Amino acid sequence: MLDKHADYIAAYGSKKDDYEYTLSEYLRMSGIYWGLTVMDLMGHLPRMNRNEIIDFIKACQHECGGISASIGHDPHLLYTLSAVQILCLYDSLESIDVDKVVAYIVGLQQEDGSFAGDKWGEIDTRFSFCAVATLALLGKMDKIDVDKAVEFVLSCMNFDGGFGCRPGSESHAGQIYCCTGFLSLTGQLHQVNADLLGWWLCERQLSSGGLNGRPEKLPDVCYSWWVLASLKIIGRIDWIDKAKLRRFILACQDDEMGGFADRPGDVVDPFHTLFGIAGLSLLGDDQIKPVNPVLCMPEDVLQRNGVQPDILS
Amino acid sequence: MAESEEEVNVLVQRVVKDITNAFKRNPNIDEIGVIQCPEARCNRSPIVLVENKLGVESWCVKFLLPYVHNKLLLYRQRKYWLDREALGDITCTLLLLNPDFTTAWNVRKELLQCGVLHPEKDLYLSKLALTRFPKSPETWIHRRWVLQQIQSRKQEQGDAAQVDGERSHQLSDHLARTLHQEMKVCSNAAGRYPSNYNAWSHRIWVLQQMAKGNVKVFHDELSSMRLWVSMHVSDHSGFHLRELITELSKTPAANTITTCPSQCQSVATPSTSPHHHSCARSNGQLSRGDNGTDEEERQLSSTTVLQLFHQEMELCSDLIQSYPGHETLWSHRRHVFYLWHHWKREHQHLSSSDNSSSVNGNRQKVESHGGDGGLPKVNGESCADQVESQKERSPTVEPMDVDVLSLHDSKRLKRGVPLLSITLSSEHSFLDEIMDRCSNPEQRRFALAYEKWLDTVIGQRP
Repeated sequence: MLDKHADYIAAYGSKKDDYEYTLSEYLRMSGIYWGLTVMDLMGHLPRMNRNEIIDFIKACQHECGGISASIGHDPHLLYTLSAVQILCLYDSLESIDVDKVVAYIVGLQQEDGSFAGDKWGEIDTRFSFCAVATLALLGKMDKIDVDKAVEFVLSCMNFDGGFGCRPGSESHAGQIYCCTGFLSLTGQLHQVNADLLGWWLCERQLSSGGLNGRPEKLPDVCYSWWVLASLKIIGRIDWIDKAKLRRFILACQDDEMGGFADRPGDVVDPFHTLFGIAGLSLLGDDQIKPVNPVLCMPEDVLQRNGVQPDILS
Repeated sequence: MAESEEEVNVLVQRVVKDITNAFKRNPNIDEIGVIQCPEARCNRSPIVLVENKLGVESWCVKFLLPYVHNKLLLYRQRKYWLDREALGDITCTLLLLNPDFTTAWNVRKELLQCGVLHPEKDLYLSKLALTRFPKSPETWIHRRWVLQQIQSRKQEQGDAAQVDGERSHQLSDHLARTLHQEMKVCSNAAGRYPSNYNAWSHRIWVLQQMAKGNVKVFHDELSSMRLWVSMHVSDHSGFHLRELITELSKTPAANTITTCPSQCQSVATPSTSPHHHSCARSNGQLSRGDNGTDEEERQLSSTTVLQLFHQEMELCSDLIQSYPGHETLWSHRRHVFYLWHHWKREHQHLSSSDNSSSVNGNRQKVESHGGDGGLPKVNGESCADQVESQKERSPTVEPMDVDVLSLHDSKRLKRGVPLLSITLSSEHSFLDEIMDRCSNPEQRRFALAYEKWLDTVIGQRP
């Protein structure tokens, strides 16, 4: 099956028509990160066009240092992280101006410690994660005010141990993943109420074995990853039924064409394919390379870069 | 159907113009959509305007989107020139088809900054985009940016015209209108997609930014959303907002503002505003007497908070019993009980630290029952039934200082309806009742989880 998934990803880039390409071009850089990471986890990275991709990333770096989703688009922290992750997979960070990336990120930190996603100022804990994840990969965490950044993320913690996008916002598995990942990278996991948060995260498992992102939402392969990775980060992965989750993820595969969908029977896409494979890796599938729960990248790539985020035991 | 590049160009330019004209012809368009129509019909524009609904026939979208998309990107790379008017039209078409195209919103932000576009126009465009894409994160982000622009412009105008009473009156009206408009946009999007995180977190942002500490607005929110959540018992986000408002309402800041008109003005409504009167009145009709003391204010506002908690728990109980097996409702119960538990403890602390202060006039001491405090005896009606059932199982419950319960002007109490107490033991009684009557396995599962939560999360705390 892994070969089919690899074929699906390899073919994905080439078969798109104009309409579909334009619809998703605003997130192209992240799309490439999803595709390349899942290929690397399956041991198929050499099938992708390394030089073309690196040239593309270079062309997406702007004067301000930030990187955009595609050529002609505006730079944003989301795509700056994706680009840096791709360059780590290819061990070629030197292709871009790293100092400028750092300056871009430093410039987006606000007085209260939060991060804006771009120069227009939207604040979200996702962007706090993007900022520290990028800096961790570049080995430049010391360039920002880490204490303030931590203070802001902790101000988004809720009574259920979870986190939302801003202070007072509802707990959401995607935001929890970003915030636990953030606290891992900044060495502050002791500030999480791991039992309480673990409880909430476990309650995301439904009878199908799949996990949802909030109460009474449908199970989804991507939320399965975010919840599972968060549980792994806070050392509570054994609190859910892993065998059942594995069966749910496997049921989301397209047996004929390869790839994973959000739920059994739906149309597959690269986004859910990465999170399906990464989930199976965290669940201990030995045909897949071990994945790092914080950065969603192969562990061997992070070792090469000397990045070892904290995990609670 | 147009096929050659030249034909596509002509077609698309015409369609963009048709869309622009449709908005000129009918400035009240309130919804957009795609009409499933695989083939072009001769000599008919693919843009259809029926009453206030604007439709695009599906066959043309696959030409239209790549064309406007590429034109804008070429412009962004300075390879193609578009004048300001064309930029406004192209980004409008583009964003109605693909509202997550961040860069297109950014182009509009620039046009707004140099005064080519009016902010209201972008509030309108994003509102329309949300009728088709109610989750679109980039649309909500743009909306927040525009609202901030409007707010800071108004602020500047307000600073410049501080003594101009007429002017500041207009400003507060504007704020109230904007607030109302945002709530409508959020409700609409929340109705179109269940547990719409982006819509509800926008609503929270608006309340935090525009209604800072204004209890009148908070309470209006609670009552106006009451029916909505009752009809959407699976919508966790809707209930989260109630939890947040409950939390905000119990903070000293919110209550201070309620009883302090001058502060209320400076935060939310500039002077001579009609709102400042309603704001001062807002907190359960708590007008401050001339001889009022801080202590009295605190007690008065705590009545409202107490009532708020009771109403919320009552609503939650009703919904849990009417709609068994909804995780959202049980999650809501956890949160409200948690907030109550902490408020009660903080309040006890406050009350016991200065219970020597005298309170005059309109507050009446409520009789406490045994060790199970907080259970008022009102107008001779006894709550003994509840007390009995609670006494049986509440060895751990701390007595609550019922001084916090002021009866001043409490409509509910005037009607002689007793407030049910909220204690650990009353929660256990509620659970017993559910377990006794319930055959729904999900309901039982959630009830057991709640019991475990009470025992571990609440019970464990000192």
